[in-house]
Amino acid sequence: MIISPDSQAILLLCSHLATSSSIKHAPLTLREWNSLARKLQFLSIRPGALLEISSDELKRLLEIPEEEAKRILHLLQRGGALAIELERLASMGIHVLTRADADYPTRYKQRLKDSAPILLFYAGEKALLGQPGIAVVGSRHLDEAGHACAEFVGNACGRSGMVLYSGGAKGVDRISMNSALAARGTAVGILADSLEKAIRDSQNRAAISRGDLCLVTPYSPSAPFSVGAAMGRNKLIYTLADYAIVVASDTEKGGTWAGATEALKSKWIPVFVLNYPQMPQGNSLLLKKGAFKFPHPFPENNPNLKEWLESHSTNTKSEPMQPNLF
Amino acid sequence: MGNLPEGKHYDSIEKGSGMDNKEYTLHLLRQMIGNEKNFRPGQWEAIEAIAIKKQRALVVQRTGWGKSLVYFLATKLLRDQGAGPTLLISPLLSLMRNQIQMAEKIGIRAHTINSVNQDEWARVEEALRIDRCDLMLISPERLNNEYFLKQVLPLISGRIGLFVVDEAHCISDWGHDFRPDYRRIVRIVQMLPRGVPVLGTTATANNRVVADVQSQLGPGLSIYRGPLVRENLRLQNIRLSSQSERLAWLAENLPKFKGSGIIYCLTVADTERVTGWLKKKGFTAEAYHAGNDGNINRSALEQAFLNNEIKILVATVALGMGFDKPDIEFVIHFQRPGSVVAYYQQVGRAGRALDKSYGILLSGNEDDDIQNYFIESAFPTSQVFQEILNVLENSEELSLDEILAKVNISKSMLEKALKLLEVDGAIGQTYNKKLLYFRTPNPWRLDEERINRVLEVRKSELAQMQAYVEYRGCLMQFLLRALDDPNPTPCGRCANCQGKGLPNVVTQGLIIEAENFLKNNQIVIQPRKQWPNGLSPNQKRIIPQEYQNAVGRSLCYYGDAGWGKLVRMGKYQDGHFSNELVEVSVHMICNLWQPDPFPTWVTSIPSTRHPHLVPEFALRLAEALQIPFYPVIRRTKEAPEQKTMQNSTMQARNVMDTICIDQIIPRGPVLLVDDIIDSGWTVTVAGYLLRKNGSGTVYPFTLAQASTRNGNA
Ligand SMILES: Nc1ncnc2c1ncn2[C@@H]1O[C@H](COP(=O)(O)OP(=O)(O)OP(=O)(O)O)[C@@H](O)[C@H]1O
Ligand SMILES: [Mg+2]
Ligand SMILES: [Zn+2]
Repeated sequence: MIISPDSQAILLLCSHLATSSSIKHAPLTLREWNSLARKLQFLSIRPGALLEISSDELKRLLEIPEEEAKRILHLLQRGGALAIELERLASMGIHVLTRADADYPTRYKQRLKDSAPILLFYAGEKALLGQPGIAVVGSRHLDEAGHACAEFVGNACGRSGMVLYSGGAKGVDRISMNSALAARGTAVGILADSLEKAIRDSQNRAAISRGDLCLVTPYSPSAPFSVGAAMGRNKLIYTLADYAIVVASDTEKGGTWAGATEALKSKWIPVFVLNYPQMPQGNSLLLKKGAFKFPHPFPENNPNLKEWLESHSTNTKSEPMQPNLF
Repeated sequence: MGNLPEGKHYDSIEKGSGMDNKEYTLHLLRQMIGNEKNFRPGQWEAIEAIAIKKQRALVVQRTGWGKSLVYFLATKLLRDQGAGPTLLISPLLSLMRNQIQMAEKIGIRAHTINSVNQDEWARVEEALRIDRCDLMLISPERLNNEYFLKQVLPLISGRIGLFVVDEAHCISDWGHDFRPDYRRIVRIVQMLPRGVPVLGTTATANNRVVADVQSQLGPGLSIYRGPLVRENLRLQNIRLSSQSERLAWLAENLPKFKGSGIIYCLTVADTERVTGWLKKKGFTAEAYHAGNDGNINRSALEQAFLNNEIKILVATVALGMGFDKPDIEFVIHFQRPGSVVAYYQQVGRAGRALDKSYGILLSGNEDDDIQNYFIESAFPTSQVFQEILNVLENSEELSLDEILAKVNISKSMLEKALKLLEVDGAIGQTYNKKLLYFRTPNPWRLDEERINRVLEVRKSELAQMQAYVEYRGCLMQFLLRALDDPNPTPCGRCANCQGKGLPNVVTQGLIIEAENFLKNNQIVIQPRKQWPNGLSPNQKRIIPQEYQNAVGRSLCYYGDAGWGKLVRMGKYQDGHFSNELVEVSVHMICNLWQPDPFPTWVTSIPSTRHPHLVPEFALRLAEALQIPFYPVIRRTKEAPEQKTMQNSTMQARNVMDTICIDQIIPRGPVLLVDDIIDSGWTVTVAGYLLRKNGSGTVYPFTLAQASTRNGNA
């Protein structure tokens, strides 16, 4: 794996790999990095140049206090340990993308701007990230209609060459992903917990090695599950896709609700909600908040689900290209 | 720089008092090794390149030149500048104690983390936490060890000041010492940001290896290369085909050396045998190897040897690279090593600080057999790789024992295969109370081209070594040419240059004595005390004391000259073991072994394929011993030959399934006879059944022991 100097610098400054809680200087937060990145961009300095800069120069150029310069220099000295850890991950099939990489998904930069994750760890076919596709979200517990819907969407994606995006967890995620893969399609799972663990699952492993699946996470590859992480991850599912279908949601609580309301507000993409008489209360509330209706029975005889979704929604927002931050 | 007079004491001078870097470093060097010492040509240049210019450097210098000094001094300079600790990656398990003491003289605190010093880990971690560790020595395997990566590495908090790759020739497939782990090191170095200095060191890299290392570590690598000639070493080659001649030669010539020395053998069995002979002849000699499940305390032996309490170490390659005892007078090879480079490395242990030292290569008939065996068993077959992957693909994660229970290969071969698969990224490891392996999603295909390349290199190296043994010209020059020394000239000291050396013939009487020694050499069968892992889930691992065998004996090693040949002929040609074998067995049992209480009856282990071979021999043996023979053990069904069962679990299961015993058997102690002992499971199971059914002590006796040619042990 070849890592560009820019990515190397970003990893050194921002990643939590090969760190422990007891270390003196914590890696930069997203906000801290954004402000540093803006400065660098203003000064026309590539991040990679930081690798060869002295402490005095750093203070002078960036106009930062002594303490901050020390922290940055200290973080930049982590190259040895980082190289060892990245090698281990690579030998397990886990790679990294930073905002400075050409392959970093443009959809994140366009839609999330400054809050696009600085780092992504992934296993599998990275070209899938941001290909036309449909996101499926929903709670883990499904009734029959929900189950059928997850299967239907997965299968439709598989047959029409669309990527099936999901959170890669149990329930809706797994069902829709499996039926997409079973229909010889492709899928992306955006994980909130340990990528290292997920790739040991034999189904995942097989799909990854066929090139049909990419698992990706903004968190450290060995991170355990946390609610905060799951919340932060939701928007990363919506913003990779063209359309989202919410299968089942609780009301006013839970990740599905939070993610869907956030998506409705941000208007990244059209959000559909499964609509049927016995639907969970969350579904009807989301419809009231402006989500589009996804009917039950499903639009079965439409050859292309994407066209159906297109003709049953209004375009949300144009996506202007603008200079983006590494 | 100020012109300071030679020999002045700088102890009081601190850095910053006007000395430049070179002077300061020289001052440190003298603190380490003595006030009259100076840099060896090239030492300062290498130190400057890494510690001052922060470059990447490859240092190719002869054994004993002082490569360790380079990284100690560089570490000191870098630490003075505020850099993080040095990470030294070396296949050696431990730094030599004297080297650590040397480093301590300039305030370098060196630590190591390895599998045998677990009791020190907490202390090392603490030292790292408070930044009191200047140099950390690890083996390449550590770089993929979860404990090291998750607990230790973060404590360095990434600030690795210098990255040292010892024995850097291992990076290259063209090198004589193929170590898959070094591929990982290459990938790590490629990912290191600019500005982290890297030092590779080796004594044994020819042009091709240097070029390969350079292409892998990147064009920024500067090469520091010096002459490889060892000026104080007298080389000589002596061909003596039989082991008894070579043993006799040792006994006759070793007294001529006043100092200490090393005798290198190719196999563990040979080190034991040579040691036994030398002890018998009154020398203070000890065997040094990694066999015997680590029963040998290697660091204690090293220490005793360093202190000259042991005159002779009889060693396998386990006593290898980097071993630095300054006053070794001789290095004798009992058998011929596989390559010129390995030979240069090993003979290079001699005479580091002596005016005169000797490197004598004895070679014999068995050398080619053994080397060919090493080459043949160097790599697992593609089928083995595939089986392992299949097993892992069908589960989340498996331990070594769990894989062994499913794949029919030996443990050492499995370990080899796992290592290769791991370095290739096909499998990963994790830790959950025990080490577990899992299949990664990375695609994998056997790199046959690479394997063939390595094997081709080995074969051509072997050919070159054969040529060395025959060579009539200057031996040192031959070695230097093979290593692409820039200026190989005749040495004027070797036996060929001088036209004289130690005698290459031996007294007949000593040869006969050695022959007798070999014949009478008692080969012990150690009883197994545990069943193998995974044999059966409800089986307790420990074999109860009262059902274990007593210590037994084998007449010889299978395939050896001498009795070994008779055993092979009996088994595979004549279908009958000769009366001569009966006679020597009686001699061995009654005169040498003398088991007490003496067995009151004999039984044997039949095989379905040759149902009469062993019982018929046992019957004759019983008659000669004048005790009765009772064939109480039977085979229930055709079992695959034990040697096709490659690991303990499979072997033991194989035996369990196919052996049964009469209900009523004699009570007394019994001699349990088999032809060849391989895994030891057959006699273990048979002995267990005998004891369970009420026999007395069980003494296993076999005609031969299939010697495991554990070359790397
Ligand atoms: N400049 C010097 N002058 C005199 N002696 C030296 C010098 N440098 C090193 N030595 C001594 O030479 C001996 C061998 O050094 P060292 O073990 O570093 O060799 P090496 O090059 O690493 O050898 P190997 O290839 O066998 O590992 C040591 O005892 C050391 O003290
Ligand atoms: Mg050395
Ligand atoms: Zn010579």
